[in-house]
Amino acid sequence: MLDDAKQPLVRVQNLKMHFPIFGGLLHRRIGEVKAVDGISFDIMEGETLGLVGESGCGKSTVGRALLRLYEATAGEVIIDGADIAHASPEELRMMRPTMQMIFQDPQASLNPRMTVSDIIGEPLREHQKGSAADREDRVLELMDQVGLNRDFAKRYPHEFSGGQRQRIGIARALALNPKFIVCDEPIAALDVSIQAQVVNLLEELQDRLGLTYLFISHDLSMVRHIADRVAVMYLGQVAELAPRDDIYSKPLHPYTQALLSAVPEPDPSIAEATDRIILTGDVPSPSNPPKGCNFCTRCPQVMDICKVKKPIFQEVEQGRFVACHLFENNEATAANAASEV
Amino acid sequence: MTEVTATSADAPKKAPRNQWWDVWDQFKSHKGAMLGFVVFMTIVLGVLFGPMLWHFDPTFIDIRARNQGPSWAHPMGTDQLGRDTFARMLSGGRVSLAVGMTAMALSLVVGTFVGVLAGYFKRLDGLLMRTTDLFLALPLLPLLLVIIMLFRDKLSATFGPEGGIFILMVSAIGITSWMQTARIVRGDVLALKEREFVLAARSIGTPNRRMITRHVLPNVLSPILVSATLGIANAIITESALSFLGLGFPPDFPTWGRLLFDSVDYLQQYPERVIWPGLAISLTVLSVNYMGDGLRDALDPRIRGR
Repeated sequence: MLDDAKQPLVRVQNLKMHFPIFGGLLHRRIGEVKAVDGISFDIMEGETLGLVGESGCGKSTVGRALLRLYEATAGEVIIDGADIAHASPEELRMMRPTMQMIFQDPQASLNPRMTVSDIIGEPLREHQKGSAADREDRVLELMDQVGLNRDFAKRYPHEFSGGQRQRIGIARALALNPKFIVCDEPIAALDVSIQAQVVNLLEELQDRLGLTYLFISHDLSMVRHIADRVAVMYLGQVAELAPRDDIYSKPLHPYTQALLSAVPEPDPSIAEATDRIILTGDVPSPSNPPKGCNFCTRCPQVMDICKVKKPIFQEVEQGRFVACHLFENNEATAANAASEV
Repeated sequence: MTEVTATSADAPKKAPRNQWWDVWDQFKSHKGAMLGFVVFMTIVLGVLFGPMLWHFDPTFIDIRARNQGPSWAHPMGTDQLGRDTFARMLSGGRVSLAVGMTAMALSLVVGTFVGVLAGYFKRLDGLLMRTTDLFLALPLLPLLLVIIMLFRDKLSATFGPEGGIFILMVSAIGITSWMQTARIVRGDVLALKEREFVLAARSIGTPNRRMITRHVLPNVLSPILVSATLGIANAIITESALSFLGLGFPPDFPTWGRLLFDSVDYLQQYPERVIWPGLAISLTVLSVNYMGDGLRDALDPRIRGR
């Protein structure tokens, strides 16, 4: 599936996003929430990278920092050859059509006082010179593409169901023919039957338009359905990044194992046979993460080194990256294996 | 919601319904607001067209007919100089309402501008809000008196006695009453700025000025309109208070406040003369407040349609 000759469309290097905490009498900076603390990954053209993790681990922050809706603290984001993280506001504006976003809450992400055609037409108005009639044609075309009735163009968002609203959001993201779309939990606010519709729509659009997705979700089975590769995040860092089939069949990182064992198994005989890994304790505060590995407070296979030294995020098998001391011993062998292949 | 879908299924080619029709429907269902609307329109139409139909000159002095009670010739009686009170009420209403609306518009523009800037741009917030606090802390009536003392003669010389005092009154009332609007608007903008559709617009690359005109202003419209209706009432009362204190328009120029001021001397003998302008002011303020109440309900999409 992965073609080494291909250049990645999106390259993220050591991205950090720290939110300052102010407090005290003089409103001084007393610390920071390390929402994203040094993550790196590439996304190839036409690929879907699933980004999973529990609530509050920094998934959405990654998505927003990628499109520079937040000013990243450090790191590099290169999308389609352009450096997003250090572009000037006007340069950034010019790059906006390449990258778009689909938001989690379709209710909140649509302006309640604009009609559907105004909402979908807004990116066109901002970035294209065409006349109002051209714009209207394009809006109707987009509505067809996402499966919305053309007669609804002059309606307001509150007159639609959740699934339809999400389609409006998708049509808006598609308006400028972007290459890269960040899907920030696009299905989390929808009920299951609608989730499938929306995910299938996203896949269909990817096939037709050659889109690249960063698919942020906490729904592991949905990510298995749509993603080509999966990155597992824990407390602001990527724990494991691997092709989908590898990660679901043989998770390496203890956190990934725990996460996957929490996915409900529809077959009761299999469900009874498998032992669920139940993590104890809570996620440490991102303003004061543990000294060593971020997962060392809850890891079932914790070792002494985990509490002192941060593991390195490295390739342990072809295309599989893990940040865990359990696999660092195999470093030499893994490197050899990689060079042989 | 279901009704809308049903009708649209029957007639899919029908032109889409404008959101303002929903607002009007909701407004109509508010009884107090409709009553206020009718009363207010009666007053507005009365003072606009009344002087054309009622052929008494409000400044015509008929000394033989002075201090008369209500009669068919003078429905509200005459004053101590024999001027027809009804004619004076009508032309006084024109001035009072004009001052009220213009001052309201001015304070609304200033207040919205300050509120949006303070709410949207974090860097301006502290400065603008402290300025607002400063204006709120000023004692308004003494300030107005000083403004009028200082500028009345200069403005009268430039724009004529009536035009000058009109400009003075409007700007004095306007710049001393924008603070409430600014605060309300700032609060709403702060909340609005964190909504996802603003983030979505940012991801599209909408620049700040269009973000404000397209996404922020339409969504703070309801608090602005409500403070507008309250602002009219406030401005009319302030104008009346100033005229009542003898600091407004020239003595022979009727406004509701001036009529009150002139009638107070005769309160014991002819109490009805105080009642007429008092009633007009109270009715206007009350009707406008009720309209504001109805408008707030009508503009809130969560209430609309219930």
